[in-house]
Amino acid sequence: MMDTILLLALNGLIWGLIIALIALGLSIIFGLLDIINVAHGDFFMVGTVLTWYVLQETGLFWPAFILVPVIGFVLGALIQRSIIQPIRNAAALSIVATFGLSLILQELVRMIFGATPRRILPPIQGTIPIFGIEYEIYRILAAALSVAALIAFFLFLQYTKIGTWMRAVRHDRETAIAMGIPAQRIFILTFGIGFALAAFGGVVAAPITTVDFRGGVDLLPFCFMAVIIGGLGNLPGTAAAAILLALLEGVIQSFADPTVARISSLVLMSAVLMLRPQGLFRGLAK
Amino acid sequence: MLSLKGVNVHIGKLHILQGVNLDVKEGESAALLGRNGVGKTTTLRAIMGLVAKSAGAIEFNGTDLATCQPHEIPRKGIGYVPQGRGIFPGLTVLENLCIGVTGKPDAQLEEYVFTCFPRLKERLKQQGSTLSGGEQQMLAIARCLMMRPKLIILDEPTEGIMPRLVSQIRREIHRINQTGISILLVEQNLETALKLCPRIFLMEKGTIVYSGAAQELKTQPEIVHRYLGLSM
Repeated sequence: MMDTILLLALNGLIWGLIIALIALGLSIIFGLLDIINVAHGDFFMVGTVLTWYVLQETGLFWPAFILVPVIGFVLGALIQRSIIQPIRNAAALSIVATFGLSLILQELVRMIFGATPRRILPPIQGTIPIFGIEYEIYRILAAALSVAALIAFFLFLQYTKIGTWMRAVRHDRETAIAMGIPAQRIFILTFGIGFALAAFGGVVAAPITTVDFRGGVDLLPFCFMAVIIGGLGNLPGTAAAAILLALLEGVIQSFADPTVARISSLVLMSAVLMLRPQGLFRGLAK
Repeated sequence: MLSLKGVNVHIGKLHILQGVNLDVKEGESAALLGRNGVGKTTTLRAIMGLVAKSAGAIEFNGTDLATCQPHEIPRKGIGYVPQGRGIFPGLTVLENLCIGVTGKPDAQLEEYVFTCFPRLKERLKQQGSTLSGGEQQMLAIARCLMMRPKLIILDEPTEGIMPRLVSQIRREIHRINQTGISILLVEQNLETALKLCPRIFLMEKGTIVYSGAAQELKTQPEIVHRYLGLSM
């Protein structure tokens, strides 16, 4: 029993780290652009599908870690410019627009890729013993890569000029413009980064999930829960909440149905909304 | 240097600016005064491109600002200290200070700014939100200076500031003007405006109703009373 709990907790932790990457993109897009991006789960799905393509075309998995986020960034920038920019200042419209985008992405992938779910084998096979259980090496690598990407993202935000500008625009768009910050370019960049983070999550997750045109649908509510529990626009809080939620669901799944695990997350989110609507990790906000 | 000719601004159905004519000469310090809601802040926001004008022209050093993107206007040499100071609360003092600087900050200029506002040097790593109102105002002015402006427009810089800091801020604005940087000051405080600015514009219902020397205005208490509701 303990082995099962440990295994599911570890799996949950690793999913939490991957979801943190995706939820961060969702949170930063919401924080800067006031956009509720219903298509964000599909950005992850596009990442998994592109990974599959890279593997098919090159026979190699590793180039996907560079190629897929770059393609994701470009797609994100194009989407911001063509779909999001024209409806700026209309938050309600953004839900409709990104819902439409979600359907377009899913159907495009279904047309090109097909409706059959596929699997990618982990590029590193084998297991190593951890706390008395044999654990897949790739999953540990996935956790390490996710942590590295999270750290890189926070360092970028904290220590680069563009990162500082992104934080400034998030605080006060108008004053930022009056200080010479090209806010429109920051919006494009932010959406691109959001897509790239989700796509990177897709690359990391591709060998441990199924590659499917509806692969982002289940993920989206989980990301939204992380954003809400972490505190709207609170990036470190979002990352922490994603890890907490996935860990919670992982542990609960060791003795209960996955539906019960998801209900537990929803109960936690409801409790946070009622008792601490500013988010569970307000102290992490910056 | 800066000239506004017949500037009109509509916000929704409201006609906020109704043909504003105003100019600031090189090295000059001018004040724009008026009661609450007459359009002073909107005039400054129109200059910075933060609100779209429906008619008229705004030129700065011969450049029609309508041809610039709003974020390009500060790079033309116009510094802006917004009402409420506009400090980014989650950024450190140093990050706030250098937010508009592209490339490496000029160390000499940074030192000059710290000479003007030594308190800021002691608080570089603090978040902007932890500063007092007066310190935030100093930071807002210092942040403009870091961008090497030719003109600084200030929107009520002494509003909500402790009286002992008001005189320091006045002194620094005067000192900045002495270095050749033009000033356009929006003020509710007549005393501050008259002390700092030799030229005064009075605004009423979205238009300039008086422009003249501060000395001249001092001799016309009926105008001050009519447009500002103050007795001299």
